[in-house]
Amino acid sequence: MASISLQGVTKKFGNGFQALHGVSVDFAPGSLTAIIGPSGAGKSTMLRMINGLELPTSGEVKVADRVVNRLNLREVRGDVGIIFQHYNLVSRLSVMTNVLTGRLKYRSWVGSMLYLFRKNDMDHAFQALDRVGLLDRAWDRADKLSGGQQQRVGIARALAQQPRVLLADEPVASLDPVTSEEIMQLLREICDRDGITVIVNLHQVDLAKRFASRVIGLNAGQIVFDGSPNELDQRTFDQIYHTKKEADDEQQPAPLLAHA
Amino acid sequence: MNNSLPLCWPTRNGLPSIAVVIAFVIVGGLLTWAAPIAEIDPLRLVASIPRLLSFLGNILVMPDIEYLTELLRKMIETIEMTLIATSIALAISLPLGFLAAKNTSPHPVVFHVTRSLLSFMRALPELVWALVFVSAVGLGPLPGVMALSFVTVGFMGKFFAESIEVVDAKPIEGVEAHGAGWLQVRTYAYLPQAMPDFIGSTLYILDHNLRAAAILGLVGAGGIGYDMVMAMRLFDYDRILGIALAIYLIVTLLDRLSGHFRGRVI
Repeated sequence: MASISLQGVTKKFGNGFQALHGVSVDFAPGSLTAIIGPSGAGKSTMLRMINGLELPTSGEVKVADRVVNRLNLREVRGDVGIIFQHYNLVSRLSVMTNVLTGRLKYRSWVGSMLYLFRKNDMDHAFQALDRVGLLDRAWDRADKLSGGQQQRVGIARALAQQPRVLLADEPVASLDPVTSEEIMQLLREICDRDGITVIVNLHQVDLAKRFASRVIGLNAGQIVFDGSPNELDQRTFDQIYHTKKEADDEQQPAPLLAHA
Repeated sequence: MNNSLPLCWPTRNGLPSIAVVIAFVIVGGLLTWAAPIAEIDPLRLVASIPRLLSFLGNILVMPDIEYLTELLRKMIETIEMTLIATSIALAISLPLGFLAAKNTSPHPVVFHVTRSLLSFMRALPELVWALVFVSAVGLGPLPGVMALSFVTVGFMGKFFAESIEVVDAKPIEGVEAHGAGWLQVRTYAYLPQAMPDFIGSTLYILDHNLRAAAILGLVGAGGIGYDMVMAMRLFDYDRILGIALAIYLIVTLLDRLSGHFRGRVI
């Protein structure tokens, strides 16, 4: 089982924006954790680091006792599947081929240059598509599917690679409430049945409360809340979504009211 | 109804932006300055109308029927040269395109070297390269094919590289994030996304190459060009008309076919 650990992780981008300020956190194997917080709090950066899509400026990210660095990206990514807000499918390829890209880490470059896969890759892809209920759309072009279906293809692609960790970067931010519910249920089931460690970035606090066994609140690149969903009350909610601007406003509310 | 209201541009003061005015003045000035250098002289054009008409009168004759079989043979040779040259160029340009695109090149040095190589290849027109290759390998379609492929790689490689540079980055991240290797990301994320542009460029280049192949015979590099030039020099208007019609026919046919094909793929 893959445990994940972040130790004093900071991230400063080229434009000078510091997304994370010394974050340290561990994720237990086989758990479902939701990360919530205002936009720009560093949720995506933190998640993407676990897949090596961003590398820390300082501190270290460990996935299954392997410190993520520039050289072992492929190995780490082999263990860590990820789904995205905008699905990030290759729209001109068939659903099947998109799912099969999750198998590329098992294939040598010679065969895959010619779009050749092995029989067992196809089996895994079919299983994954069956799991997300899209077997009948396997041969359609990915961009012919609805948003919710495309997200399920994204999940199937991640499942096809047989990951030990599944990251989801705002997976339901572009979806309607009913579809969001289905996607979250699917993630919960993947966590429970396969023992895959799932980490989800969410904007919907109610979804986090209902589906996660642990909630982490991020604000301005720091962890401000870490606990079980039922510990989330109005006070902690305010703490998490408290922005600096609001803090300034609170200090001098009188003039604003006077104008109103 | 509102026609009586004053017209204005969508700017702060309703006047055209100063940058646009300056651009127009500069371009207009350049053109007036350049026209005499390029011998753009309306009077001369008007004066030459009778001569133009007499030439057109000469060309409107019955095409040379006896020449038809030879014409057909030469046209097929021209088309074959085009297809072979474009295919060879396609096979070479595809990898070069990936090396010459900023986002897929393995190293900035490789990027710059490939880009320079491509500009060198298309620096001179096909005809000049054909001359070079004719002196190297002798007369016939072979130097023609070599020259065509050479220049086509220069253009195609650049077109491909530019198509690769504008693909959407999100699907690339999607494929990359699942542990795909360097070549795999290029095969599964960049290539399919750039494919419509690739097909468009290739069809355009095919069209261009057919017309280029039609004049390579001028320097003895095969195709219909030699006959065309000879007919011009000997004032064989019946032949020229036949050749012109044949080229027009093939180019139009190719255009229709490629349009149809494009519609199906994209």
